[in-house]
Amino acid sequence: MVQTVIMPKLGQTVEESTVLKWHKREGQAVTKGEILFEIETDKAVLEIESFFEGTLLKIVVAEGQTVPVSAPVAFIGQPGDPIPEVKPVSRPAPKADATPEHVAVPVKSGVSQPASDQPPASGIRRLVSDIPPPSPARKLVSPRARRLIRECVISAEPIPGTGPGGRVVEKDVRAYLEAKHYAELKITPAARNLALKNGIDILTVLPAESKERITVEMIQQAIAEKPKAMSKMRQVIAQRLTASFTTTPHFYVTVAVDMTDLLEWRKILKKEAKTVSVTDFILKAVALVLVKFPALNSSTDGRAVRWHSRVHLGMAVSIAEGLVVPVIRNAHDLSIAELHERAAGLAIKARDGKLTPDEMTGSTFTVSNMGMLDVDHFTAIINPGESAILAVASTRPTPVVRDGKIEIRSMMNITLSSDHRLVDGACAARFVNRVKSMLEDLELWKSMI
Amino acid sequence: MEKYDLIVIGAGPGGYPAAIRAAQLGASVAIVEKEALGGTCLNWGCIPTKTLIASASLYWHMQHAQSLGVSVEKASFDYAAMIRHKNQVVEKLRAGVGQLLKANGIKVFEGTASFMTRNRLAVQRSGKESVVLEAARIIIATGSSAALPGFLPKAASVVESRAFLDLPRLPARLIVLGGGVIGCELACMAAQLGVQVTIVEILDDILVMLDADVRAEARRYMESHLKIRILTGKPLEQIKAGAQGVKGHVAGEEIEADLLLAAVGRRPVTEKLDLDKAGLKPNEKGYIEVNSACQTKAAGIYAIGDVNGGPQLAHAATAQGLLAAEHAVGPRRNVRAQIVPSCIFTAPEIAVVGISEQEAKQQNRAVKTGKFHFAALGKAIASGETTGFVKWIVDADTDQLLGAAAIGAHATELIATAVTAVQAELTAAEFAHTIQAHPTLSEAWMEAAHAVHAQCIHAPPRRRKTDG
Repeated sequence: MVQTVIMPKLGQTVEESTVLKWHKREGQAVTKGEILFEIETDKAVLEIESFFEGTLLKIVVAEGQTVPVSAPVAFIGQPGDPIPEVKPVSRPAPKADATPEHVAVPVKSGVSQPASDQPPASGIRRLVSDIPPPSPARKLVSPRARRLIRECVISAEPIPGTGPGGRVVEKDVRAYLEAKHYAELKITPAARNLALKNGIDILTVLPAESKERITVEMIQQAIAEKPKAMSKMRQVIAQRLTASFTTTPHFYVTVAVDMTDLLEWRKILKKEAKTVSVTDFILKAVALVLVKFPALNSSTDGRAVRWHSRVHLGMAVSIAEGLVVPVIRNAHDLSIAELHERAAGLAIKARDGKLTPDEMTGSTFTVSNMGMLDVDHFTAIINPGESAILAVASTRPTPVVRDGKIEIRSMMNITLSSDHRLVDGACAARFVNRVKSMLEDLELWKSMI
Repeated sequence: MEKYDLIVIGAGPGGYPAAIRAAQLGASVAIVEKEALGGTCLNWGCIPTKTLIASASLYWHMQHAQSLGVSVEKASFDYAAMIRHKNQVVEKLRAGVGQLLKANGIKVFEGTASFMTRNRLAVQRSGKESVVLEAARIIIATGSSAALPGFLPKAASVVESRAFLDLPRLPARLIVLGGGVIGCELACMAAQLGVQVTIVEILDDILVMLDADVRAEARRYMESHLKIRILTGKPLEQIKAGAQGVKGHVAGEEIEADLLLAAVGRRPVTEKLDLDKAGLKPNEKGYIEVNSACQTKAAGIYAIGDVNGGPQLAHAATAQGLLAAEHAVGPRRNVRAQIVPSCIFTAPEIAVVGISEQEAKQQNRAVKTGKFHFAALGKAIASGETTGFVKWIVDADTDQLLGAAAIGAHATELIATAVTAVQAELTAAEFAHTIQAHPTLSEAWMEAAHAVHAQCIHAPPRRRKTDG
């Protein structure tokens, strides 16, 4: 019997996924539990195991293709089994009324509308050749002209067409070559081959006045400069942060926290083999204070306010491909030891690319700690669906005035970015000062550990 | 104190061309040399070894010409006369360098230079008072030396390459420690003159920078025709040396000889320069680090040739010298990566340029190769020079000629064609369509280029191993 392999739903908010790689080829035997293919959601890359045993009869969704969840992607059965017909699956239309906490912004593969903001003569649209260009601007080129263009290793894009319907004909190409002094161009044979294979227009490699011979090195540079589609993760980061930064009125409040006592005590804890990181202290302090500041644990679309009764703390983690924000659920209920364990576990999973989509959604407030990156101060962009984010900078020995005297203390700047629609200056100021005084209150921490 | 636009320290194959180019460009130039004009290359390296190799090779061929119908009875040689001839060649060329420097108005200081400041040098001269020189630009071209490693006993029967070239007579039995270029060249030379030679190399093979097929061809010839014993993958241990002879152990076996030639690499010469006074420090390997224009970290100071850690080849030093001189005093030119050929004057000769097959593998680069054996080439068969082959290394995607190797008679001359083709970024298809004169050894390059696309005329079709 033929079994249908479907695109799995790997999180409440995941609506579509892209097949990145097939681990099996058509005709190969598959056992249950074996890795069949890899998919990329808007948040993560995941390996999918086979539920079925048999032969991979047909791959319906090719590598690089994006389909909605539950769509058939392949069939497994016995050789000779009839393979059902599948209609090509279209992607779901983007939801018009996506709510702010709907983190899975539908993403089209490829760069959307690259043509409008590019200089017309640059030939860039041709360079991103694997991305279908917007349909109205499709260039019409006669077969003879196309052959000449290919022979000359140039792009059809900037050539004005005089044929029927603006079609580029051979005469147009010849006139264009003349106008560009193509005959004076010098290129090494290997460079020409490399340009042809990579769709580089050799007229664009050198500045107009240069008479240099084009070498392999120059073509390699042009290939490196070619616009390339961002990874899906990068595109999601771009969309979400742009949406947040352009639609949320951000304002920022900074305070300096004296970490001297806490760090001293941490050293003592370490000797007792109790590991607590600075992040753990901050997460705990924030979770405790957030319970008393509902405005900062809410979200708004500009009309309604939604208060989140629970504290789900997002924790920004930098990974090789970009940035992920795993979520520590019910952080207000966790002890420091539990927080430590949860945070460390999520960070490792994040760096290994093993986070599931559900581990990356539903945060109500986010902490971004750049303390290990040697910065004095920074501001963060609020995660969509939240009302604030706390940016934690590095702790440094700093001269401060205490009891009328200058002393060197270990100071750490924390900056709260808030959504001014929900949070007012006074509220933000009280919040950061509560976090500050909590972190400076050593007796409190001693009572907790 | 004397002031110049440019001072060059070291008059070897990097230093003296740099001085001449700077003078051609109108600069006032001084050059400091502590020993002999022409440096290692002219006095104790390339030129003297090639002179002796020419003599040895001729003697060998006289004795092995029977297959061509020529036999020479009572062929003999006089090693002392060979050394005299070598010395004459060296003196002639050294005098030529002196004349060139003089003709270009370059002031030559015989002595040892050391930095006093970034742009001032003290030159200690034997028999004369020292002198202070100043220049806005200084090129360090002090080269390298073959030092005897510390683990070797100090004795008359243990020499490095420089002392080896001045021996009045050859030993009957020779151990060559180190199977690199210098070790193999001198081993072949001695073997052709009848010396019983053993090469001991700690690495897994001799000439490890070459591709395995080239190495195998060289080793096969050296072992079967020159009767050189080659021991690889094991160190020479328990070395004992006296005035009469030397012995050591390789993997438990005792090896005995009259002389040991140590050819285990060369060290950059910087110790007397007082680099710290110029604000410079050699890296952990002793080299002075430079950028692509041979500039060191100290403004106005350049380092070229062996001392900067690049390829230890005279022609590389010359190219760098010209580049640095132009950068220092003249119109600057764009620095482009240049490919440097490398020649090994063993028997058979070996020459390579560009990347090798094993380098391509290390870089994960997809390449194809095309090879043609001299045994299938008319001219090679006619002249009885059928050992070896030529090989192209070609980019699998663009067909670009990335590198080449030649092994066999005249390989060091044959490589010239490949150098031009690789530097000009020709493709294998393009090269295959050039017309090479018949009957010549150069035809092998054209055939090998055809072989890249399995279109060789003078070789039977066969399955390609490198594909896939």
